[in-house]
Amino acid sequence: MNNKTNKKPVLQKMMFVTQFEKLGFGALQSLLVLRGAGLEHVILMNVIERDRVAMHRGLGYDKDEERRLKEQANIRFIDWAESLFEKGLEVGDYIVVGNVVSQTLEAVAEENADLIVIGQRKRKMVEFFYSGDDIIELLRRSPRPVLIYKELDSNSCTDACLADNPFCRTLLAMDWSPASLLAVEYLKTMKNVVQDISLIHVASPKELKGTSSLDIQKLRKEKRGRLAKICDELEAEGINCRPHLYVGEPVAEILRAAQEFNASMIVMGSSGTSVWHERWIGSTPRTIVEKSPYPALIIPQAKEDSDQIQ
Amino acid sequence: MGKKILIVDDDPDVRLFSQAVLEENGYTPVVAKNGEEGEALIRQEAPDMILLDVLMPRESGIRLYRNMKTHKKYKNIPIIILSGIAEKSFLRSQKVLTEFGGDPVPDPEAYLEKPVDGEELANTIKKILG
Repeated sequence: MNNKTNKKPVLQKMMFVTQFEKLGFGALQSLLVLRGAGLEHVILMNVIERDRVAMHRGLGYDKDEERRLKEQANIRFIDWAESLFEKGLEVGDYIVVGNVVSQTLEAVAEENADLIVIGQRKRKMVEFFYSGDDIIELLRRSPRPVLIYKELDSNSCTDACLADNPFCRTLLAMDWSPASLLAVEYLKTMKNVVQDISLIHVASPKELKGTSSLDIQKLRKEKRGRLAKICDELEAEGINCRPHLYVGEPVAEILRAAQEFNASMIVMGSSGTSVWHERWIGSTPRTIVEKSPYPALIIPQAKEDSDQIQ
Repeated sequence: MGKKILIVDDDPDVRLFSQAVLEENGYTPVVAKNGEEGEALIRQEAPDMILLDVLMPRESGIRLYRNMKTHKKYKNIPIIILSGIAEKSFLRSQKVLTEFGGDPVPDPEAYLEKPVDGEELANTIKKILG
């Protein structure tokens, strides 16, 4: 049974939102490592955009096309579900017509899912989005963590760890917002899945301006100390963690760090310290999701934290 | 009133079809659209048989089947699986769940792969219920 009233994050039920061409069975299989974090139930979801079943010139709704697309999706899901059932997982499916964001959020509420996975991958050097700003909209409105799955280039997957486990080498971007602190708790529940964490904080160059080198060293020491405390917590759970302090523009530095540490995934909170859930997504997570070649797990702020901020 | 048969399926077309077959053959259908609803109706209606789909939202047929077949009161209700999921996959999943520490469960009374023919369904039910 799911126990979502407990404050400790859980990861029993995963909603896998697929358009097939952008998020396929290979991705789903790689996420089965989450069984080590308690995953028991996979919900397969395909949302057929209204445009695909709308008839031209205002003639209404093409019921036959809807049936055809639904059956097409059903054939794929049956095939996937057989494989998941045989592994002892519980599987459900939704094949619906409508807007991907609202349909997904409705199903998440109905299923009480713990994690949403949605695809985004490179296509001919151009980032190809699920559909316009759907992913950003989903991040803005989702009360649950969202994993934006992207296939890493084969050049990036130089070792077995990265190829088999997208969570293996995680870069956790920390700004000490409630959402990023919740990300720490979330990663603790994934201790059997995550092997190494590079914990990074990006300090603003403004913080260094006009201060003496002694002040800068003090600042570095203070920030490193805060990071080290979080690393200690993660190491107590058995996850290797190293703190890193970068200075510069957050998105560029996070991406630089991800590359330097050969990260398999970026994890971060959905918002900064001065914003609230359901209205805003911080510009850094937004740009990371839009521009980064890495899969990104975005953790929303807990409801009670967002209420306090409001 | 004929024997009561519970249909658990998320596909409205299949529910309608099975309902019509049951009524034509003198049975009383009761319908549920997922495993959770199905479990509630089993407790409420105590059906004589269950026609069960496997892949459904909220609670799959795998879970409902297991819950019923390991339940003191309901384990003797015959279950016909009506699904697009291959019988082999269904049986293997039950075996894996048993290996994970669950109680062993018997095989279903019958397994019909979708789409099912009305006559085949009626004959299978008659054979089991007599």
